[in-house]
Amino acid sequence: MSGSVVQEKVAKLLSRQNGKPVLRPIKPLALKNEVASRSLKKGEATCVTEMSLVMACWKLNDFNNSVCSKEVSAFYTCVEKAQNKAKGKQGTQG
Amino acid sequence: MCVSLSLCLVRWSRYNPYYLDPDPSKDARVPESELSPEEKELQELKTVSPIKAALSSDTSSAFNDPLISKFINMMMQDGNKILARGIMTQTLETIKRKQVEKYHKSPAAKREEIECNPYTVFHQALENCKPIIGLASVQKGGKSYQVPVPLTDNRRRFLAMKWLITECRDNKHRRTHMYEKLSQELLAAFANEGNVVKRKHDLHKMAEANRAYAHYRWW
Repeated sequence: MSGSVVQEKVAKLLSRQNGKPVLRPIKPLALKNEVASRSLKKGEATCVTEMSLVMACWKLNDFNNSVCSKEVSAFYTCVEKAQNKAKGKQGTQG
Repeated sequence: MCVSLSLCLVRWSRYNPYYLDPDPSKDARVPESELSPEEKELQELKTVSPIKAALSSDTSSAFNDPLISKFINMMMQDGNKILARGIMTQTLETIKRKQVEKYHKSPAAKREEIECNPYTVFHQALENCKPIIGLASVQKGGKSYQVPVPLTDNRRRFLAMKWLITECRDNKHRRTHMYEKLSQELLAAFANEGNVVKRKHDLHKMAEANRAYAHYRWW
């Protein structure tokens, strides 16, 4: 249908039969399989609340990690979730 | 009569993401009935997908410890793995000797608290040296701020090992052997004392002081 018409026009633009060729392409004239990625939306900092809890616990207990183990483990779970989310998002996008 | 080893290097440095890691442990072969559905899926995947070539340092022996291997690799200089491994074994031996001496000298009541297994001492000391929150430099409005940031497990392990090694190399007396310095530092870290744990605490204090900048992160 219109595909062959376009191909003929392109062939005419590239050929030397009607004077100098109008187009001199360096890459093949074909569309890529993907679209250029849009600029990423600026995300926010993840796990800030957990981090602030850990730091508050540290301030109270003089940076003793054995006493603050509950907050620290909560922080780790939050970080893992955020990492998995970021990985999943990257997987679907890329 | 000495036999020269000519190793043919088979492992590539870059693999396609679908390649699985090799599992050299002997009891990897579990009977079908004891596997949960996810583990059955994993076994299926293992039969179909390609597996990376094993490193020459991977063994199926009971003494193979990935953490110790990683530490040996980090200590190694100019590819001298034999020297690094020798230092590691001497360190573990020194730790054992010191702990057993302590065990025999202490009264019966305190004997159960003393940990004699050098591998558990090493693992616990490394855990005590790992930082929880790190600092990253973020540029905002022409000025760069130190922002508190969560660290990945690999990064934390790397930092703990790096601090241990640099501490022993730089800040100790020149004439003591590396295994001696390492054993002292590891035993101190096991008891939550010493320069490496102090460095970890300093990092935590800096992060706590800069907690106002935590929102400058966008990841």
